[in-house]
Amino acid sequence: MTLFGNLDVSGSGISASQTWLNTIAGNIANMDDVTPTDEATYGTQTPVFVPDSAFGQIGEGVTVTSIEEGDTAGIVESDPSSPLADAQGDVRVPDVQLGTQMVDMIQAQTDYQANAAALGDAKNAYQSALTLGT
Amino acid sequence: MDGIVGVLQFAADGVSQQQQATANNLANSETPGYGAQDVDFETSLQQAIDSQNGGTASITVNPDTSAPASNGNNVDTSTQLVDAEEETLQYQTVVEMLNSQFRLISGAAGGSFS
Repeated sequence: MTLFGNLDVSGSGISASQTWLNTIAGNIANMDDVTPTDEATYGTQTPVFVPDSAFGQIGEGVTVTSIEEGDTAGIVESDPSSPLADAQGDVRVPDVQLGTQMVDMIQAQTDYQANAAALGDAKNAYQSALTLGT
Repeated sequence: MDGIVGVLQFAADGVSQQQQATANNLANSETPGYGAQDVDFETSLQQAIDSQNGGTASITVNPDTSAPASNGNNVDTSTQLVDAEEETLQYQTVVEMLNSQFRLISGAAGGSFS
């Protein structure tokens, strides 16, 4: 732990929530992608959270170790008017669930706020420590 | 325990570690399989104060035993947020008590009491 280390713990939570929000934004932005049926489509992205901790010690926050990519097979849809359609008139579209993404977005936002609140608390405590002896 | 200053110093350290644990629990509120941590120093400090010939207090990290959700995570965000607020106030109180103690020492030594 560094000086004022509790701020870094909450900071790691804030950046993890931010990464999650970014993947959700990417997922929603790509939900209307269209690809030919012989190509892979966009896979829903989800961050992988791993705690920063040694056994028996207080943890030091969270890390996003990777971004997992969901099924790139997507859904085959009939859209004969699309210039990308195959001989059967089919195209491939991503299997992004808007409902799930919206719920995740609210969750990620709440997490961000909770970590920001804890950051403020740690700052207040450290500031009071700086008044010692004055 | 070495007098009031020693007790307060230990308490400040303990509360700061509790705050770290709370911040860490909140940071991991979405981590699958993560078990919340709980820091205890009060029990040990109380025992040290009660013992006749000055015992030693220690800070321990314990797993939170509340039931996990379907992803194996048992962090309750609202409880942790309340803990974070409480720990901040507790820390500020300890610091204020230390400052009062220092003012008392300073006054007794011929300086100012304020």
